[in-house]
Amino acid sequence: MTDKDDAGSVVIERLFEAPVDLIWKMWTEAEHFKQWYGPNGASIPTAKMDVRVGGRRLICMEMQTPNGTMQMWFTGEYREVVEAKRLVYTESMSDEKGNVVSPVDMGMPEGHPDTTEVIVELEDIGGRTKMVMTHAGVPGDSAGAVGWGMAFDKLASYVDARSR
Amino acid sequence: MATTTTNEDRLSETFAALANSTRRAILARLAQGESNVGELAEPFDVTLPAISKHLKVLERAGLVVRGQRAQFRPCVLDPAPLEEISTWAEQYRPVWEARFDRLDSYIRDLKQPEGSGEHDD
Repeated sequence: MTDKDDAGSVVIERLFEAPVDLIWKMWTEAEHFKQWYGPNGASIPTAKMDVRVGGRRLICMEMQTPNGTMQMWFTGEYREVVEAKRLVYTESMSDEKGNVVSPVDMGMPEGHPDTTEVIVELEDIGGRTKMVMTHAGVPGDSAGAVGWGMAFDKLASYVDARSR
Repeated sequence: MATTTTNEDRLSETFAALANSTRRAILARLAQGESNVGELAEPFDVTLPAISKHLKVLERAGLVVRGQRAQFRPCVLDPAPLEEISTWAEQYRPVWEARFDRLDSYIRDLKQPEGSGEHDD
């Protein structure tokens, strides 16, 4: 509905009543990350986060269902780490050892890309923090995946302008 | 089940088609109106057959439809596959919104003032 709803990505902007350092910790320190990341009704029993460029991440989400406890694992790699400013990491569904699995095999809705990229940008606004989070699909195994989302967004807005 | 696989394949094809700067440029150009192969090739330093090859990839992904007029076969953009891509992303939006709501309240808990009276403006 807004300009930010580009095809192929989710962009969410928030203002937090907290300094950038604290928001950065929320994304990069497992003990904090676990507290908010799990979807409602889920918990995060495992969050391994080697926050440096090329470092791996492995996240487990656990949900209680009528059929018992269900776990979903996610893995990925940190691509950009600029303290208190910018964090970029990839995410794929995986098993508990971090071996990537296809989202459809895991029962995700069709059309989910195998790998997605999360970009977190932080900006200090007089002691508060403006955060822009972009979650975009990445074409499979593409080495030049970074920046692809931006190019795509441009294209999407061209198309949008034409079709409305 | 068969349709799931088909849609999934089609989406992979869309992503693959978009993972190339020349093809994205072609689409951007077509977003401004239909063109034929010759016109599309103009801004690029590549041969006509190379452009045709890119067009075939875009056609297979359903992003470009080509007219049947033998000589010119104008290319027209079809944005439908792009809209399909937006669906997975939009499925994630409420998940992220809920996460950030929790993040917001978690931060408030962390900062819980020992005494109150932090508002004096």
